[in-house]
Amino acid sequence: MELKFDNLTKEFGNFTAVDHLNLTMTKGVYGLLGVNGAGKTTLMRMLCTLLKPTEGRITCDGKDIFEMDGEYRKVLGYLPQDFGFYPEFTVKDYLLYISTLKGIPPAAARKRVKDMILKVGLSKAANKKMKKLSGGMKRRVGIAQAMLNNPKILVLDEPTAGLDPNERIRFRNLISELSEERLVLLSTHIVSDIEYIANEIWLMKDGKLMHKGRAEELIHSMEENVWECFVEKDLVSSFVKRYKISNMKSEMGGVTLRIISQEKPFENAVQAEPTLEDVFLYYFGEKAGDGNGAV
Amino acid sequence: MVRFELKKVFSRFKNKMAVVILCVLMIVVSLLTMNRVYYTDENGNHTSGMQAAKSLREEKNQWRGYVTDKVLKKVLKEREEIYQTKEVLSEENTKEQDKAYAKTQGISSIVEMINTAFSPWRDYDGFAIDRISPEEAARVYERRISNLKEWLDSGEEYFPEGQKEFLIRQYETLETPFYYEYYEGWSALLQNISTFLLMLALIIGFLVSGIFSDEFVTKADSIFFSTKAGRNRAIVSKIKAGFFIVTGFYVVFVMLYTFIVLFALGMEGAGCPIQWDMWRSVYHVTFFEGYLFIVAGGYVGTLFASALAMIVSAAVHSTAAAVIMPFMVLCAFPFLSRIITLPGMCSFFPDQLLDIYNSLKESVLVEIGGKVMDTAGVILPVYLFASGVLFPVLYLIYKRAEVK
Ligand SMILES: Nc1ncnc2c1ncn2[C@@H]1O[C@H](COP(=O)(O)OP(=O)(O)OP(=O)(O)O)[C@@H](O)[C@H]1O
Ligand SMILES: [Mg+2]
Repeated sequence: MELKFDNLTKEFGNFTAVDHLNLTMTKGVYGLLGVNGAGKTTLMRMLCTLLKPTEGRITCDGKDIFEMDGEYRKVLGYLPQDFGFYPEFTVKDYLLYISTLKGIPPAAARKRVKDMILKVGLSKAANKKMKKLSGGMKRRVGIAQAMLNNPKILVLDEPTAGLDPNERIRFRNLISELSEERLVLLSTHIVSDIEYIANEIWLMKDGKLMHKGRAEELIHSMEENVWECFVEKDLVSSFVKRYKISNMKSEMGGVTLRIISQEKPFENAVQAEPTLEDVFLYYFGEKAGDGNGAV
Repeated sequence: MVRFELKKVFSRFKNKMAVVILCVLMIVVSLLTMNRVYYTDENGNHTSGMQAAKSLREEKNQWRGYVTDKVLKKVLKEREEIYQTKEVLSEENTKEQDKAYAKTQGISSIVEMINTAFSPWRDYDGFAIDRISPEEAARVYERRISNLKEWLDSGEEYFPEGQKEFLIRQYETLETPFYYEYYEGWSALLQNISTFLLMLALIIGFLVSGIFSDEFVTKADSIFFSTKAGRNRAIVSKIKAGFFIVTGFYVVFVMLYTFIVLFALGMEGAGCPIQWDMWRSVYHVTFFEGYLFIVAGGYVGTLFASALAMIVSAAVHSTAAAVIMPFMVLCAFPFLSRIITLPGMCSFFPDQLLDIYNSLKESVLVEIGGKVMDTAGVILPVYLFASGVLFPVLYLIYKRAEVK
């Protein structure tokens, strides 16, 4: 299976949310990393046939996905970033309904729903109404519905947003388990979500692809260095104005800063090993004094 | 899949409420309808309702049969005998008059028919019968035709030649003598049915207005449209659910209302000509046929208004906008017509479908391709066809919906 974006563009009025993307995906996990408003959701909506591209096209094994219609959506599973349910449906009813929409025969659907409820740990809530679920439970139902048809293409838009750290780790493991043998596109602005599970990471900004590659490749692509230094509290604000700061840790008598900079920012700064977090900041970060953003 | 769509509709609180309200309305309208039948007992006391219907039925059914000239003469004689007593003739004594009326209830409709026939056009003289001989009374059916001709010749209202001919032909070909029996159950049913059908149509419109927009309102849309059936079979299911709700509710509630009223007031009279109630009607129909016509019109109106509501629901993604549609289509024009005089074209608007009762009574005629017809007979097939066209349009609109 090969999914291909061909000059893919989406404009809202004269605002370009996705800007001439050319990309190819095969099996594996693709991590889509970008700040708010980068165009991640817009891209995913086009991939799920919810939005028509203004220009360009998406093909699946050479065929336009909009022309493939149901044939394409048959192999698709989608967890939207922001979505709702039918409030009066129980979890089980809801999943049975989505199974029907996905064209799964009733008997198979009942079994599949049962399995998925177990898998996402919702056995106790199976007969609860959707409106009575917590945010985390709703996400799990979301993941369960996406997986019902055992999709070859799984699109997850910020699947871990709004989850507590425990949930987030559990979710990450679940996703990594589910991602075997299929194509997964996962968006987030939290680096740690995809650092270890993505085979390829895409950095997206203003609708354009900035960089792509494995985590190490991205780290190597950084043309600046990472420094760590201990400064007094009073000096922090002047550093924040001058440099991109990827981390700050308050300690007794001062603050430890992690600074991204070509040259040594400070007398006793020591060079540190760059991480994906630093890369994110390097590409997307802004100096506090710089309204237009860096790079 | 249709089952789930129906479940979505009826799991919503506001829709459950709407069904409860519909049941309450049906009971209220049924009760009001039942009280449309009056009876005066031998002591001159007036009553209404089920008991009154029962008594009136007994009186009237003594005269059951075709109202031939022999019967008409007999009616006149009967009435004369009752009213010629001294008590009745003293005009102040209303109680005595009521008592006398009580005795003539069995023939009251025949008396009214004679009065109408011997009154000026569009007027009713309750004493006309007192001025005519039995021989004149026997010509009541001819009188209906000659009255029309006179009135057409008077030129009080303008009618093109074709329409004049049509009216006269309809009057002349009406089958006489009329069959007579107690028909007040049907009569009461028809008088209130338009109000009931309008309420039913609006509530049905309310029920279906969320079928398409609620996916967007609840934000369930992104999952819905990304599934295999989301842009084809699932839409058909939604349309089916809408159609089932419209048809199911309409049929069930119309039947319930009909049975309640007729059970309480009596079923007979279905075969009497509608002219007993609507002397000037151009339709050659019985009460039962008139009822079917009214109910069919109401169904087409409900279907059309609901289809429009669903189209707005699918296109605008707003349930609120969709709910307004049936009101616009079915209520706005009658309301407007009270404020301003609307052009003649308005008798082609869909609100007329819910008021076939008035079309039966006072037809608005049109000439199409040299053939004169009543507008009600024109709009019924036209809107049925239009509704049929709206459903594929609805499908296409929803198929192209984008999630933004
Ligand atoms: N329907 C729309 N109409 C107009 N502009 C839109 C629409 N949808 C998105 N946009 C704009 O397109 C840009 C990209 O939005 P998108 O939701 O794709 O970003 P994102 O990367 O998913 O952001 P986030 O991380 O906040 O979810 C934003 O500037 C947004 O305002
Ligand atoms: Mg987003």
